[in-house]
Amino acid sequence: MNLFPTLLRPAFLVLTLLFLGAQARGQVEVSVSTVPRVGVSISGSMGAGVTEIVSADLKRTGMMAPVGGGSGDYLASGDASESGVTGRLVNKKSGAEVFNQTFTGRGRLAAHQFADAITQAVTGLPGFASSKLAFIASATGSKELYQADMDGYNVREVTHDGTISASPCLSRDGTKLAYTSYKSGYPDVYLIDLASGTRTRIAFFPGINTGPSFSPDGSLIALTLSKDGNPEIYTMSTDGTSLTRITRTRGAETSPSWSPTGDRLVYSSDDRGSPQLFISSASSVSDMDHLVTGNSYCTKPDWSPDGKSIAFTTRIGGQFQIGVFDVASRTAQLITTAGGQDPAWTRDSRHLVYANNGHLHLLDTVSRQSLPIEMNVSGCGEPTVSR
Amino acid sequence: MNNKCRLSLLLALTFAVAACDDTKDKNYTGMGGDNGSLPGGSDTVNPGDASSGIPPGPRGNFNPDNADYQTLASDTVYFDFDKSTIAGSERGKLEAVSEWLKANPGSSLFLAGHADKRGTPEYNRALGERRALAVREYLVGLGLPAASLYTNSYGSDRPAVDGDTEEAYAKNRRVEVGVIAQKP
Repeated sequence: MNLFPTLLRPAFLVLTLLFLGAQARGQVEVSVSTVPRVGVSISGSMGAGVTEIVSADLKRTGMMAPVGGGSGDYLASGDASESGVTGRLVNKKSGAEVFNQTFTGRGRLAAHQFADAITQAVTGLPGFASSKLAFIASATGSKELYQADMDGYNVREVTHDGTISASPCLSRDGTKLAYTSYKSGYPDVYLIDLASGTRTRIAFFPGINTGPSFSPDGSLIALTLSKDGNPEIYTMSTDGTSLTRITRTRGAETSPSWSPTGDRLVYSSDDRGSPQLFISSASSVSDMDHLVTGNSYCTKPDWSPDGKSIAFTTRIGGQFQIGVFDVASRTAQLITTAGGQDPAWTRDSRHLVYANNGHLHLLDTVSRQSLPIEMNVSGCGEPTVSR
Repeated sequence: MNNKCRLSLLLALTFAVAACDDTKDKNYTGMGGDNGSLPGGSDTVNPGDASSGIPPGPRGNFNPDNADYQTLASDTVYFDFDKSTIAGSERGKLEAVSEWLKANPGSSLFLAGHADKRGTPEYNRALGERRALAVREYLVGLGLPAASLYTNSYGSDRPAVDGDTEEAYAKNRRVEVGVIAQKP
């Protein structure tokens, strides 16, 4: 049990007993402290490795505590071999089998898929262990595009261009990457099909072409172009056609992010002096709805998959921090204190991946706990997560 | 070594080999070939509108990384924090640049906008672009042909000076004037 400092363990035990007692009396009473304990014990030729991966994935969510196979509120068992993972989850209180299914992802992916199924069943939120991560790193001396799994494994350097790569965006299904590259000498937007490895330049107007963001259905890209003067937001089809202008200001608009329904865009604009967040229609130039956050510098918004929250980077006292704007109440709060920038929501709309001082971190926006995503790559930034 | 030991060793090796496939930072496999360009661009320059200022010109037929930044190095234009307006103290440099190009009509100028690192990357790229476009607009106002003035923004990706001091930041908020040894 590494989730709680030693001194808090007795308190945790008491809370757990209270929780179990409440359950026994038929009351539904869930406290943040009483995270369900999930025993993980997988047999088979790859059982030990898969047990380790699944346990680490569950722990990473901060919403479950993996424990030894014999104890726990749930038991995750199964069989793991080179051909895949068969996983079973049993609720030990009721004795009921929650699921029993086969996971067919290659390599570590099958274990991550099992962990995501457990997460969904136990917490009601979709797991993100099987999501893909992309980011920029300057480990080689120039800014290149990288891919990795959410646990920091399977790091792959996608580009080897020796120029500036920037602002990657994974499509929600994780099959495509759009990003900015100075490969031509100027910032252009490129699209990479990750299955085939082909790369296609899709926006190369005069001026800057940068900051691409996939629409929820993957058919459109929102981006910043300066072809008409100062940098403005446009949308275009991923085949390079159907260019539509979204903003018309005297300032610079950057970092668009789509609402989950695809009808609106949130972005940063310095039309009123310092950069602030605004929402506009995603179909034409329209009124700009200013999101008042109480901070004079707000950039790089990311709209959560459930539509309820917009994470952003703010600057306070010379340091970047991450804020979250609640769309319904129109209020913002800071959720980091030790620095952070470029937040990207995971598919559960609860966790964020962000960058701080060249390292990537995973932040639980409810508990405010932050964990490093450990990779042997330096100078990391601008993370993007598939959903 | 008995059979049981041998079996354990074999299993251990099997797992070790399988685990190697997923070891961090291995198997760097880069991009496949480029697939050309789709129609998302053109050299047609938009006439622009009043709110947006003068739009950038078409890209030149040269590699921007080959621009000569030495000849007019003393005319690098510096900016206030988060600003793209040209300060009075910097205008004399642009008059000198204007005189230089008039005396060297066989050349073009490459205006490279930069920002300090105290902004997020995309905002900095836009800020560098606005600075480069502001210098271009000012030079056009001094009588230089717009077609001889190319622009680009590098955001905060190519600082002139490393460091986290106010002095370093001030040196990085700039537009460098590069010389291209060809007519537009």
